[in-house]
Amino acid sequence: MNAILGTSLSKSFQHYQVLKEVSISVQAGECYALFGPNGAGKTTLLRIFATLHRPSSGSFEIMGMDGKRDRVKVRDVIYLIGHGSYLYDDLSVKENIQFAIGIRGWNPTEAEIKKALDQVGIGRFARLRSRYLSAGMKKRLSIAKALLIRPKVLFLDEGYASLDERGVGMMNECIRSFTQAGSAVLMTTHDRGPTADVAHRVGVLNRSVLTEISVKDMVTADALF
Amino acid sequence: MVATRFIGWLRKYEKWFGLTATVLISAGLYTGLVTSSPDYYQGEVVRIMYVHVPFAQTAMLAYSTLFLCSIWYLWKKEAVVDNACHAAAGLSLFFTAGGLITGSIWGKPTWNAWWVWDPRLTSFAIMFLTLVGYLMLRTFLDDKEKKATFSAILAIIGFVDLPIIHFSVEWWRSLHQPLSVSNRGVSIAPDMLVPFTLMSIGVGILFSYMLMVRTQMLYLEHLLEAKQGRLLNEGQL
Amino acid sequence: MHFFRVIRWIAWKDLLSEYRNRENISSMFFFALNVILIFSFSFSLDSETIKEIMPGIIWVAFGFTAIIGLGKSFLIEVNNDCMEYFQTLPIPKGAIYLGKFLGNLLFMLTVEIVLFPLFVLFFNLDMIDQFLQLLLISTVATIGLSALGTLFSALTVQIRAREVMFPILLLPLSVPIFIGAVEATRGVLNADAFSLYSHWIELLVVFDVIFVIVSFWIFEFILDY
Repeated sequence: MNAILGTSLSKSFQHYQVLKEVSISVQAGECYALFGPNGAGKTTLLRIFATLHRPSSGSFEIMGMDGKRDRVKVRDVIYLIGHGSYLYDDLSVKENIQFAIGIRGWNPTEAEIKKALDQVGIGRFARLRSRYLSAGMKKRLSIAKALLIRPKVLFLDEGYASLDERGVGMMNECIRSFTQAGSAVLMTTHDRGPTADVAHRVGVLNRSVLTEISVKDMVTADALF
Repeated sequence: MVATRFIGWLRKYEKWFGLTATVLISAGLYTGLVTSSPDYYQGEVVRIMYVHVPFAQTAMLAYSTLFLCSIWYLWKKEAVVDNACHAAAGLSLFFTAGGLITGSIWGKPTWNAWWVWDPRLTSFAIMFLTLVGYLMLRTFLDDKEKKATFSAILAIIGFVDLPIIHFSVEWWRSLHQPLSVSNRGVSIAPDMLVPFTLMSIGVGILFSYMLMVRTQMLYLEHLLEAKQGRLLNEGQL
Repeated sequence: MHFFRVIRWIAWKDLLSEYRNRENISSMFFFALNVILIFSFSFSLDSETIKEIMPGIIWVAFGFTAIIGLGKSFLIEVNNDCMEYFQTLPIPKGAIYLGKFLGNLLFMLTVEIVLFPLFVLFFNLDMIDQFLQLLLISTVATIGLSALGTLFSALTVQIRAREVMFPILLLPLSVPIFIGAVEATRGVLNADAFSLYSHWIELLVVFDVIFVIVSFWIFEFILDY
């Protein structure tokens, strides 16, 4: 089943056409890694799927639901880990999690929150105000939220950015747990090494042309674009 | 495409609107400035009313158009409707400014003051400020959809507010400055009615014509931008 | 119901942050204090003129306070891209508006209630007896101001000239609030009978009802353009 299906998506910002008729599909239980030069439109594509941008033309489906008509239903099944940490500086790590999940209509127990925080290695900072977290810790916190929300479709924008070596391993573990549970993961990245461990399919987006290559080629190629 | 059909329709019919407006306004100006007699009380000053009243009416027509187009945009999210909103806002500002200036010129000999805080004048002044805010907001937003949506929201809020503003200023004024010259209940002589009607309809149609032209212009600008974007992408620019 | 839970979560988060950093309330309060200071030097105040201009002074001070406080209200939401998170949530967006509105209303009212004794103190006013009427007027006027202010704060928070655009949009459209509040306050200071100025309060209530409903409905589009 297609978890993500984009058909000839285009997007322009003022003068600049970022995407031109890009089509992509990702199956459920699959991790799709998107490479490409800066400014190729990887993030824009992700943000269109995450219902943050409306495509200038083209259409997309998430879990079989139309991305234009059923936006509310689409939002029920997706989660985006992007550049923003979605945190409030003066709330503690635990309170931030309670808020982010609670507003979705579900109140996780203390034990569940603790388990998720421990899983990403920031359990001992639960009472720290998020103002004092480093970028890597904020990223880990985002992963913890994803673990609690368990979306059917997970978008990772620069999945490994600002994570240390252990963090990268943690991220891969998290991705694996998602794909094994049948969720789809679409990520943009520049790190070929860690991506090779989890990606099922790899695409290179350059000048609005999406070329699919094998995972093996990705590792061995001199340059992807 | 809805947009191309719509623009094609505008292109086809705009000249008739332009022509009708020219004829009606010429006839209105001739009858208003030459053949009609001066007012018993106001004398020759009354002639500015033939411009002032149609301008004020058209300003309201323009703002109502902006309001309806804004709702239409929020509903359908058609880019060309946003072009129409943008056009209507600029024209609404133009006619509001015209109404305010002519009203002020008329007020000096009649009320012996360039400005009074009359409910109608005040509502127009606030409408003017809101429209300036509207156009400023547009210049500060970059994302096209966001620009269109946010400005539509502002236009709707402003439109809903206008009657309340009018009403509250009326109450306020009845408390502080009782009306000195009432322009209500004045019966209009028949030879004044002709230029009034001609001018009112003429300026209204002039607005429609300007709206049609300006919407096309903004639409073409939007196409040009897209074209530039494509060339930029292909490295030809 | 989920709708009310969202309102509660948003308001809880704002109040807790404010309790911890006190940024909003303290900046509003000290700004208003400065306005009072400038006003007391700008007019030569004998007891007759005070009655005449005091309502104006009070409401200009409160108006500036609103500009300072409400204008920043959505800053906390964009600092870490929380607006983006809200956008991707499968919840009624109007509930987010109502939560923010409630928080803002509480902050504004707190500042106003603290300021009243200071007006009495600095301008030798005699209005302790009419505290309840003043509270009523402040409440209905502040509801309208917060309703519009919260909406415009969300509109302007992400644009370049935020500090300029917010008052430019808010002030002309809140003219009825200022007219109603000033005239009603004048009635109170003149010790008029309540029925002599109650129509102004009715006007404010009408304004409140219209703009809370319209803003609530239209807020959906701010988060989902």
